[in-house]
Amino acid sequence: MAPAQVDFVPLIPTIVVTVTALAVLLLGLWLRGEQGIWLAAVSIAGLVAALVFLLGLAGPAVSERRAAFDGMIVADNLSTFFGAVALVIAILTILLSEHVLLIERFSQGEYYALVLLTTVGMLVLTAATDLIVLILGLEILSISLYVLTGFARGRLGSEEAALKYFLLGAFALGFLVYGSALVYGATGTTTFGQIANVLRAPGASSPLLLIGLGLLLVGFGFKLSFVPFHMWTPDVYEGAPSAVTGFMAVGTKAAVFGSLLRILTEAFPALRAEWAAVLWLLAILTMILGNFAAIAQRNVKRMLAYSSIAQAGYIVLAVIAADPLGRAGVMFYVLAYTFMNLGAFAVVVAVADRGDVGTTLDHYVGLARRSPILALAMGVFMLSLAGVPPTAGFMAKLFVFTAAVRAGYVDLAIIGVLTSAVATFYYLRVIVAMYMSAPAEEPAPAPALRVPGPLLALLVIALVATFGLGIFPAVTGDLVGGTLALAK
Amino acid sequence: MNADSYVAIAFWILAIGMVLAAYAVVALPRIIHSALALVLFFFQIAGLYVLLRAEFIAAVQVIIYVGAVTVLFLFAIMLTNRSYAPDSNPANRQWIAAGVVSLGLLGTLLATLGRQTWPTGGQVPANATVLLGQLMLGPFILPFEIAAILLLVAMVGAIVIARES
Repeated sequence: MAPAQVDFVPLIPTIVVTVTALAVLLLGLWLRGEQGIWLAAVSIAGLVAALVFLLGLAGPAVSERRAAFDGMIVADNLSTFFGAVALVIAILTILLSEHVLLIERFSQGEYYALVLLTTVGMLVLTAATDLIVLILGLEILSISLYVLTGFARGRLGSEEAALKYFLLGAFALGFLVYGSALVYGATGTTTFGQIANVLRAPGASSPLLLIGLGLLLVGFGFKLSFVPFHMWTPDVYEGAPSAVTGFMAVGTKAAVFGSLLRILTEAFPALRAEWAAVLWLLAILTMILGNFAAIAQRNVKRMLAYSSIAQAGYIVLAVIAADPLGRAGVMFYVLAYTFMNLGAFAVVVAVADRGDVGTTLDHYVGLARRSPILALAMGVFMLSLAGVPPTAGFMAKLFVFTAAVRAGYVDLAIIGVLTSAVATFYYLRVIVAMYMSAPAEEPAPAPALRVPGPLLALLVIALVATFGLGIFPAVTGDLVGGTLALAK
Repeated sequence: MNADSYVAIAFWILAIGMVLAAYAVVALPRIIHSALALVLFFFQIAGLYVLLRAEFIAAVQVIIYVGAVTVLFLFAIMLTNRSYAPDSNPANRQWIAAGVVSLGLLGTLLATLGRQTWPTGGQVPANATVLLGQLMLGPFILPFEIAAILLLVAMVGAIVIARES
């Protein structure tokens, strides 16, 4: 029995984050209360170190592919990009959570450790080229998030959200595992490259394989909350602590879309017609229902939940295109979404205050007077999510719609543009509430909101990135694979 | 009668028993009876593994599912107040829709999987358990290690949830 081709180099960033998580878990026993800032510092230091290793690993040739453990895991363009996004998301989440942990009296060691372990799951997931490793990575990611969702102990909404997320997430995992088992039954292998090899033979496609692929897509659909597998999303987003909701929204999108892109293009290129047809239908349903349901929401977190469903629908357009432009589209959209959505959640966290109470639209009325900086930032993020130039959201939408049209999916691009117009309504409503509505009755003017330092840093980073990606999209050129030449 | 027909008879006994036990889990009105029916179901799955000559998996099935999982279920149920109430395993009003979807899935699976030629691994080696261990620490060392992190996450998570705030 030949031992695995052992090569730990592609795993270095993952190992660094894991060790940091264990260190933070231990240090959390001694550092409490105000001292928790050191836990945040250690976590960020570990994540930055992992980022350095990850980008150093990519080195001069990002596109060079390095497989390890008999092709179960790789370091390549895709894993480097989505891994880097995952690490950046984790760093921003720690900035987002730092003061929340203090005012809510959450136990900080466990919180940071779980954020880091979620990141480990994301790193494994985006680098996995084997069904077993993929499922394990996805489960590390999911289980950490179930616990983080229920982190506000004693708050009914948070516990209910955690239970719902856990039950439906476990159900989704069942689909993924059953699908993987059928794919293994049909091809005799779990490694993406070998699955593709088996399928290259004529007549290799079988009903068993198609059912397996279908079940895999259902599992991915649950995790990415495509309609009709989106039922859990609004409740979980609303119930989870706001900082966790922001992390969950961008983190799972980045990692799971990276993984979906990889499995479809590396394991099932031979079945492109079949999976493209399924995703075509899911994309249409997701774009339409996500955007129209968002209109009816008065709670900003629920609105952002439906918004995240709709945004997932746009990203699918680029997945369906599946050519280099589509790949670059997925990457760019995920990156833009990371900054604009985490930025929006930073404002939600600041406005919600202790116990996550202030999350309805009414709490945003007159925000421009209570905190001009928060209102301005929220305005920019809303415009970016709506896709207004010169923000990152506009470039991202332009990217995926172009990819869809080039690949021959004009119908999808038209639905995308029309539903984006619908989306403008509910994004602008937040801006109207902040700037143009007067509070109905206010005995005393509401106190000015204080923005804590780390949160302010996060807002500045997100604002710079939102404008930066919108005005100079070519800065991502190297990582996105040099396929940014939109105007060719 | 040759060995194959004995295997076939055993399979059909187990298969029918499993369907009945699974139905009992859903249909029995008392939740504690459902949990006990689940024990029966898990035992019969172990029987199927034995028929497939996967004795190690069968043993693991009994130890983990029959031994650990259902005992946990029974403890959790007995710690609640209404563990023996006649309506403690209620069905909700969506059972018709659920039934239609389930029958649709069953029909699809029966229609397609029946026509599938299944690749088989040939003769089961005598020292299968040894080989399994070597596989786990050889070619499959990476998933093995990642599973360790997964267990760590689950442990930390369980402590966070269970600890008094």
